[in-house]
Amino acid sequence: MEVTRRQFLKVTGAAAASFGLMDLGFDMKATAAAVKGLRIKDVTPTPTVCPYCASGCGLVVYAEKKDGKFVKLLSVVGDPDNPINEGCACPKGAAMFNLREIYDEKGEQVINPKRVPKPLYRAAGSEKWEEKEWDWILDEVAKRVKDTRDKSFVHKEKIKLADGSEQEIIVNRTEKIASVGGSGLDNEEAYILSKMMRSLGVVYLETQARI
Amino acid sequence: MANMTNLYDSSKCTACRGCQVACKNWNQLPAKIDPFKGNYQTKESTDGDTYTIVKMTEYEHPVDGIQWKFAKFQCMHCLEPECMKACPRGAYSKTETGATNHDPSKCIGCQYCTYACPFEVPKYRKREDKVSKCTLCADRTAAGLKPACVTTCAPGALEYGEREELLAKAAERVKYLQMNGFPNATIYGRTELGGLNKIYILTDSPDKFGLPVNPQPYGQVNFWQNWVQPYFGWLIPIALAGSAVSFVTTRILANKHAAHDEHTEHGEGVSE
Amino acid sequence: MSPAFGRGVMTNHMIDLKNTNCALIMGSNMAENHPIGMKWLTKARLDPKRKAKIIHVDPRYTRTSAVADLYCPIRSGTDIAFLGGMIKYIIDNNLYHKDYVVNYTNAAYLIRDDFSFTDGLFSGYDEAKRAYKTDSWNYQYDAAGKIMEDPTLQNPRCVFQLMKKHYERYDIDTVCNITGSPKGKYLEVLKTFCATGAPDKTGCINYAMGITQHTVGSQNVKSFAIVQLLLGNIGRPGGGINALRGENNVQGATDMALLFQYLPGYIDSPSNIADYKDLISYIRKTTPGAAKLPFTNLAEFRELVKAGIPYSGWKVNTSKWIVSMLKAWWGDAAKPENDFAYHYIPKRNDTKNYSHMAMFEAMYKGEIDGLFINGSNPVVGGPNANKEQEAMTKLKWMVSLDLWLNESAEFWSYPAWERAVKNGKVPHHTPKDIQTEVFFLPAAAVYEKEGTAAQTGRWVQYRWKGADPVGESKADLWIINEIGKRVKKLYAGSTRPEDEPITKLTWDYDNPHDPEEPDVLKVANELCGYTPADGKPVEGFAKLLDDGSTVCGCWVYCGCTTWKDGKMFYKAQSRKKDDPSGLGLFPNWAWSWPVNRRIVYNRCSVQPDGVTPWPGDDDRRLVWWDPTKPADATKPDVLGTWGGVDVPDFIKGNGPASAPFKDPFIMRPEGKGCIFGPTSSFKDGPFPEHYEPWESPLGPIINKVALNPAAKVWEPDKQGKSDQYPIIGTTYRVTEHWQTGALTRNLPWLAELVPDMFVELSEELAREKGIENGSEIIVSTTRGDIKAVACVTKRFKPFLVNGKTVHQVGMLWQFGFKGYATGDVANRLTPHIGDANTMIPEYKAWLCDIRRA
Repeated sequence: MEVTRRQFLKVTGAAAASFGLMDLGFDMKATAAAVKGLRIKDVTPTPTVCPYCASGCGLVVYAEKKDGKFVKLLSVVGDPDNPINEGCACPKGAAMFNLREIYDEKGEQVINPKRVPKPLYRAAGSEKWEEKEWDWILDEVAKRVKDTRDKSFVHKEKIKLADGSEQEIIVNRTEKIASVGGSGLDNEEAYILSKMMRSLGVVYLETQARI
Repeated sequence: MANMTNLYDSSKCTACRGCQVACKNWNQLPAKIDPFKGNYQTKESTDGDTYTIVKMTEYEHPVDGIQWKFAKFQCMHCLEPECMKACPRGAYSKTETGATNHDPSKCIGCQYCTYACPFEVPKYRKREDKVSKCTLCADRTAAGLKPACVTTCAPGALEYGEREELLAKAAERVKYLQMNGFPNATIYGRTELGGLNKIYILTDSPDKFGLPVNPQPYGQVNFWQNWVQPYFGWLIPIALAGSAVSFVTTRILANKHAAHDEHTEHGEGVSE
Repeated sequence: MSPAFGRGVMTNHMIDLKNTNCALIMGSNMAENHPIGMKWLTKARLDPKRKAKIIHVDPRYTRTSAVADLYCPIRSGTDIAFLGGMIKYIIDNNLYHKDYVVNYTNAAYLIRDDFSFTDGLFSGYDEAKRAYKTDSWNYQYDAAGKIMEDPTLQNPRCVFQLMKKHYERYDIDTVCNITGSPKGKYLEVLKTFCATGAPDKTGCINYAMGITQHTVGSQNVKSFAIVQLLLGNIGRPGGGINALRGENNVQGATDMALLFQYLPGYIDSPSNIADYKDLISYIRKTTPGAAKLPFTNLAEFRELVKAGIPYSGWKVNTSKWIVSMLKAWWGDAAKPENDFAYHYIPKRNDTKNYSHMAMFEAMYKGEIDGLFINGSNPVVGGPNANKEQEAMTKLKWMVSLDLWLNESAEFWSYPAWERAVKNGKVPHHTPKDIQTEVFFLPAAAVYEKEGTAAQTGRWVQYRWKGADPVGESKADLWIINEIGKRVKKLYAGSTRPEDEPITKLTWDYDNPHDPEEPDVLKVANELCGYTPADGKPVEGFAKLLDDGSTVCGCWVYCGCTTWKDGKMFYKAQSRKKDDPSGLGLFPNWAWSWPVNRRIVYNRCSVQPDGVTPWPGDDDRRLVWWDPTKPADATKPDVLGTWGGVDVPDFIKGNGPASAPFKDPFIMRPEGKGCIFGPTSSFKDGPFPEHYEPWESPLGPIINKVALNPAAKVWEPDKQGKSDQYPIIGTTYRVTEHWQTGALTRNLPWLAELVPDMFVELSEELAREKGIENGSEIIVSTTRGDIKAVACVTKRFKPFLVNGKTVHQVGMLWQFGFKGYATGDVANRLTPHIGDANTMIPEYKAWLCDIRRA
C-alpha cells in the first residue's frame, strides 16, 4: 500500500492542482483559494460549434497558452452565449475535450492516443502503415489523380437530339474516380472539394446525406 | 449561509448522460470502460472516477404500459452525513453551503465511508489509494458558476439554487404532475435521512427509480461510532486490513476487465 | 419535401420548437439524437400559452418515448399507412385548416382525366422498366395556359377529392392491422395532433432517418407534407416539417453539392442528353415554364423573363445562378462567347445512377480505380457492408481524410476481415492479397481549425480555432487546397482542351498573411459572390446577373458576407443575441440561408389578405404586407412591400394586385404547397401509397403490390424470405455515439457510456430463443452475420400484424473494430435496396434470424 501512496504523491499537473484545492477544505479562506484555483479563470474562451448532430450547439474551448502559443486544453463546454443551446451540451458535446486530449488511466492529461499525428501510407499488399511527409503524400495523391483521370477521361460523346440526328458534345467526365463523405467538412471545405472534383470530371460524388 | 443544492426533475430528464460526461470533463476524471451488461445504464453505480451516473429502470405499469424511469445519482450531500460520522481521519466536513466535502489529503483509503453511506456513493480510487466522490463542484460554485452537471443539462432537468426555494418549487411541480398523469409523483430528499442536500422531483415512488424508499444508516456505522471511533488506537490495523482487502478485490475486478478488453479487441473466432 | 414545397430543407429551426402546440416525433429518436431539441420542446410544454404535447411514434420505446406525453408503437416501414389514416381522419372529421388549404395548397387544382390509381399502381406504369411515365400526373390547363381550379373543393377531379378517394381505404382498423399499433393509442395520436388544424394552433413534425431509410422514404416525407398542409402548419412558428439532419454540416455539404445530381445551390447537374447539351438548352431545361418559349440566346431569354414567365416561380432566375457559378469557377475563361465555360462541367451518363449504392456496385465490379473518403466510413456505415468492403479491395488507390484510422482506412487489415461466424458466402481477405494503395491524410479536429457549418435549421455559424492541430494534422481546407494546387501544377502547360477545366480553374485560396494556411474568408467571398468590377460582395441573390458581371459560387449563400468599415465581414461570425419578436428568430445571430430567412414559406403565417394574423394567433405572425412603405428605396413612389419580424420568403413588391400574391411557395412553379405531386416530382406516385419493405414478413395488405413498384432492386438473389428469416431487423443510434462511431468510440468518455455492440429484443422473443440478458447472440441475414450482446428489454414488444405475431430486433449500426469501444458492424446485415427517388438505403426494415452465440 505504501507504493500506491507514494505514487499518489507523485501525481502532477492538473489533477494535483485540483486536489490542492480540496486540501484546503471549504472554510471561507479555502473558498477564496478555490476561486483563485478555478482553472478557467481569466482564460478567454474560443467559440466553436459542435461537430456531431446538426443542431448547431455552440461550444467554447478553454486553452492554456504561453506567450500566445497554445499549450494544452483546459476544458471544452457549452457556449452560454449561443441561443441554440444556451450553454448546454449532451454527452457527445460534453466529451469534446476528448477529441484532442484525454485523462489516461493514471489521471494524467495526454493527447488522445488514437489521433494520427503524421500522414500514413499503406503500399499495395502491405500489412502495415508507413509514416510519410506531407509533401510526398500530397504529390503522390495528385499523381494518382492525374494518372487515373487521363486514362479514363471521356471528353466528347455522340448524343441523339430530339429530331433523331446525332451530335457530338463535350461531356468532360471520368467514372474511375469517386468521392464519398464531406458532411463533416466546413462549408468552405465542402465547396472547394465540390469545385475540385467537378473540375476533374468526377461524377461519382456523394456525401452522407444519402446514407 | 443557506444550503445550496441541485433540484433534479425526473419528468424532464432524457437520460442523455450529458451530466455524467460534463462531470468527468470538469473534474478531470479518466474513463473506466466496463462491459455492457444488458442495460443502457452500463455502470451499476458510481466509481472512483465516476462521480455521477444516471440510473435507468424499466417498469411495466399495469395500465399505462412500459415506462423507463431515469434518476441522476451521485452523492446526496446529506444534511447529516453518515460518511462523516464513519471517517476515522476527519476527512469529511460540511461546507457552509451544505456540500459534504471530502479532503483527499486526510483520506487514508480505509473505505469505511464507502460502507457507511446508505447510498453507497463514495468509492475507492485505486490509482491514488483514496476515496472520491461528487464535490457539488465546490470550485465552480465558489466562483459563482453552477455545477458542471447543471450547466450542461439540455432539457433543463437540473437546477441549482437555495435548498428551501428549490423545495418550494419542487412542491409546486409535484402538485402539477400529480394532477397531470402522475398521481404518485413525489419529492425525494426533503426528509430522507434527516434531509438530503439534493432534491428530486420523482414522477413515481422512489423504488421505480432505483432509489431506496426510506434509506437508513447502516448498522455498522452505529457500531463504529459507538465503539470504534472512541478508541482511535484500533484504527491502524483495521484500516490496513480494509485496504488490503480492497486492493485484492480491485485487482480481481481489473483482471476481469482486462479479459473483456481482450475479447472485444480480437472479436473472437468461430462460434458454431 | 422539395417536390411538395420547393426546397428540401428543415422548414423551421431548433429554437422554434418552443412555439409549438404539439410536436409529432416520428421516425426520429430526438431526445437521443438531437438532444438540444428537447430543451425547446420542454419549454413549449411548460409555456402556459402553448401547453404543448409531445407524441412519439416509433417501432421502439426509446428515451424519447420515455419523456413523451404519448407513445404509439408502429411496425417499421409502415409510416404511409399510419399517416394515410391520419389524412383520412383529418378529412372525415373536417379538421383541416380550410382557408389555408384552399389558398396555399394545390388542393383546388384539377388533375388530368387520364390520371388514375388501381390495385396499388398509378397510371403510366411500365412493369418491364419498373418505372412510371408521369405525363398523366398533371394539372388541367385552360386554353390560356392557366391551371384550372375549383376553390369549393367539390370537383371530383380536384386534388382534394382525389386525395379523399385515395385514402378512403386507410380506415383505422386497416391501418392498425398493417402498422401493429394499438387502436386506442393510434386514435389518441390522431386526436391530439390533428387538433393543430385549428387556425390558432400549430404543430410540428420532427423526423430523421427512421423516415427516410426506406424504399418509400420520399413518400413517407410526402405524407408529412400532406398532413401539415391540410392542418395549415407550414410557414408558421411552431409548425413545419423539421428534417433533423444527422451530421453537423450535412446541410452545408448538400448546399455545396457533394451529391452527383446537383451543382451548388440545388441546380441540376447536367447529363449527356440534348436538354443539357449547351448553356441555352440547360437554361431551357432548368427554368420552369421555359420549355416551349422561343429563345436562342441569353439576350432573348432575358426579354422573356422581363415580360414574365407564368408558373416559373423563383427558379426563373436559374440562368443567373449558373452563370455566376461558372464565373466563380473559371473566371476570365468563362466568357459569353464560350457559354461561360458551361461545357467544362462534367456531364453524367443519363442512363446511370451515381448514388452511394450505385458507386459501390460499380466499385464491386472493378469499374472504379480511385476513391476519396472525406471523413466518412462506408465499411461501418454503408449498407451491405460486407459487399462494400469487398468492393474497396478492387480499388487501385484510396485517399482517406480523417482524425483517426477508422475501419474504412484500415479495410485491408487483418481485424477488418475477422467475422463472428464462418460463412462461405461472405468474402475473406488478408492484407497481402489487397493491392489497394492507401493514403491517410490526418485531419484537424473541429476546434483546431476555422470555418462555418450550416446546422439543421440552415443557420450558418462560424467556428473559431481554439487549439492547435494534433501533431502534423491539418485542416481539411489546407489538404484540399494543397491537392488542388498540386493537381493544377501537374496539368500546368497542357494545351489539351480536355484539361481546360483544370488549367483554367480559379484556385486562389492561399492566405496572403500566413503562407502556411489557406484563407477561409477568400472562400467565403467566392461563396457569397462579388462583383469583379469593384471586388465588393453581392448583397443578395436578387442582385445576381447572367451576363458575367457577378461571380457567385453558391447562390443560396449569396449575401452571407457584407462590406463593413472598408472590409469584408462574414455574417456567419455575427454573435448578437437580440430577439425582438420573442419567437427565437435571433436575426443577428450567425446568418441563415436563404438571405437570413429563419422560417421558410413564412408568407403562410398570415391570412391570404397578407395582413391579418390567423384568428387567435396574433403572436405568431412572421411577415405581412405593408402598403405604406416602398419595396425599393430607389423608387420611393411605388408603395407597398413585405416586411415583418422574419425576412419575407416572398418577392418584396408582390402586393394584392399581383397574380402570385397568394402563392407562398415561391420555389414551386405553381407557387402552392403540393398535396398532389405533379408530373416528375416523384418517380413512385403523386400520392403516397403504402407498400411493404423489400424484406417483409407479410405480403401486400391494402393493395396488390408488395414492394414500391419504382424501387430499384440491385440484388434480387439476396432477398431474405420470412420462412428462413422471420424477424424484422432495424438499425439506429444512441445519444452516446455518433454515426459510424469514429468520432465517439475513439473518445474514452463516450466509449465508457456505451462500450459494446448490442442488440435489443423483447422478453417474449428472448424466452422463445432461450436468450439471456447480457449474453452473446448471433444475428444473421442473407448478407452476413454478426455477434453482439443481447439487451433483453420490456421496451420491445412483438407486433400483432394482420393476425400474425411478428418479432422485431434492433441494433446499433455504430460499431466496428477500431477505437476504445469495439464491436461487430451491423451493416453487414443490411440490404442494398433503396428509395425509388433518393436511393437512400433501406436500413430500417429487413429480415433476420437470431440465436445464442
